[in-house]
Amino acid sequence: MLDQALNLLLSNQNRDGGWGAVAGKHSNTEVTALGALALRSAGADAAAIDKAQSWLSQRQQADGSWPLNDSAKGASWATALALIALSEVPEQRERAVKAGNWLLQQEGGKPGVLAALVLFVTRQKSAVRLNQDLIGWPWTAGNFSWVEPTSYCMIALKKIKQKLPAEPFQERIGQAELMIYDRMCAGGGWNYGNAEVYDEKLWPYPDTTALALIATQDRRQRNENQISLRTLHELALKADSGLAIAWASICFALYGQDNSAFKNALTQRFAKSQFLGENKAWALALLALGDGARYFRV
Amino acid sequence: MTPWLSACDQTPRWQRDAYIRPKRSQVAILGAENYHKPLRDVIQRGIELCRLETRGKRVLLKPNLVEFDPNGVINTHPALIEAAVDAFKSLGAREVVIAEGPGHRRDNEYLLTASGLYDVIKQHRVRYVDLNNDDVRLTALKSGFTHFKKLYLPETLYQADLLVSMPKLKTHHWAGVTLSLKNMFGVIPGSVYGWPKNALHWAGIDGSIVDINSSLPLPRFAIVDGIVGMEGNGPLQGQAKHSGVLVFGADLVAVDASAARLMKIEPRKVKYLEMAGEFLGNLGLEQIDQVGETIDRFQQDFRVIENFADIKKLV
Repeated sequence: MLDQALNLLLSNQNRDGGWGAVAGKHSNTEVTALGALALRSAGADAAAIDKAQSWLSQRQQADGSWPLNDSAKGASWATALALIALSEVPEQRERAVKAGNWLLQQEGGKPGVLAALVLFVTRQKSAVRLNQDLIGWPWTAGNFSWVEPTSYCMIALKKIKQKLPAEPFQERIGQAELMIYDRMCAGGGWNYGNAEVYDEKLWPYPDTTALALIATQDRRQRNENQISLRTLHELALKADSGLAIAWASICFALYGQDNSAFKNALTQRFAKSQFLGENKAWALALLALGDGARYFRV
Repeated sequence: MTPWLSACDQTPRWQRDAYIRPKRSQVAILGAENYHKPLRDVIQRGIELCRLETRGKRVLLKPNLVEFDPNGVINTHPALIEAAVDAFKSLGAREVVIAEGPGHRRDNEYLLTASGLYDVIKQHRVRYVDLNNDDVRLTALKSGFTHFKKLYLPETLYQADLLVSMPKLKTHHWAGVTLSLKNMFGVIPGSVYGWPKNALHWAGIDGSIVDINSSLPLPRFAIVDGIVGMEGNGPLQGQAKHSGVLVFGADLVAVDASAARLMKIEPRKVKYLEMAGEFLGNLGLEQIDQVGETIDRFQQDFRVIENFADIKKLV
């Protein structure tokens, strides 16, 4: 499967060096960052790796951020993934540090005084049960903090922490970790970032559970991590999804657990669906089947 | 035309060309007992009753695939989507594409497989487009009920001739009801605006629904899946409610008004429907030509959460 997935990923690489979500779509930062890492992990042709890394380095903006793609040019959440990818390239590390400093300045917003006042005056109970004062990272500037972008940013910043100013790093990461644990679903695991609405529990997803666990891998002894690892094990074993199994496999590798069952499941799933032709899932599978977990080690 | 005016500055909230409310609108209501019986003919009849022209067109079906719960009824049923593919093909559509930008999940393979839609796509060899990760085009909005002046929209919308909103008949804990207009949240690319389409929530759900629907770059049609709907704490955690009905129409405001009445919900009390009813379509019973079956025949009392108790008072 490894060769097949690599060939598919290479054949879908756009002329500009990047990848879109599927064949024929314009290159974007998220898939190109993961694609570049996947090619490195699989020991692909250096020219293809260089093209992917060049696509990334050419698109870093003056403030250190990356846009989503050439159409949506504003700073984006995908900056964290570009940082992770380029932090592996010695000559690009300055770019990674610049991105890290930019990430430290970004934070999720709060619903605000007005929303709280409306709830109080109308005597409505809050629909969700989460601590809105805990700040992580949003998908879009100024919006609420969510699990997936926060996890990417935590992984990215933790990878280059030695190069970042200590105080803001500690402050942001400390609060982001609290936010991640606050959003954990009952019984372990994470979804997009909301565990309960109107007293009814929401359920965890394997992909975001794996990401939150990867982001908190240096807190592995915590009870939340341990029960969420068990949750991930259950979720990923029955996941009909290359993306979910790949993230789970990477997560278990980082936690030093046997992930051979997930690697087998990934191969079987690929044979069945080819992951719907999604470049991101192919890239993650290559990372999971090879030694790609190391790129997410903090 | 009576522009909806801002309370403060008296400025019309929509552009002149955003005004598309017809004098009268046609809405078809047809019975469909369950998902096991063939549905293609019912859908074809609904399309024909609304005199929708489909020949030679590239038709984009937009179901509701926001999330999946094996014990719930969140999604537009795959049997209905399959029947719609069949019906539009039979009526001469050049191509039928299924497209969605799920609001919560980023894992398309899981959602499509678990919901049963993957089998439909494979069997009928239709293209599925993930609108969350499509190429995007910055599009000026034709109304101003939010701070957005422009939104990125998926390129796939620009390549189609007709967008068919296929929502589930559901109550909604933030918006009151979620039907064909609210279903359009799914065309907004998550890669730009995030999951769960949070930027739209913060800009105001009601205003966002109206601004999106006033500004989509192609004609629309709606087929509401009310065979089994959802009441209570929708759109995810409510209870199944069998209604055995499908609702069709080209005026999405009128379709949603009729669908709300089917749930014994007053459309004029649903904020975004009231706003949309000013310029995007007809809300009033007197402006809607109901064809097929009557509302009375399929009307059910859908429960809503306490915060929306007011919308249950029909006028």
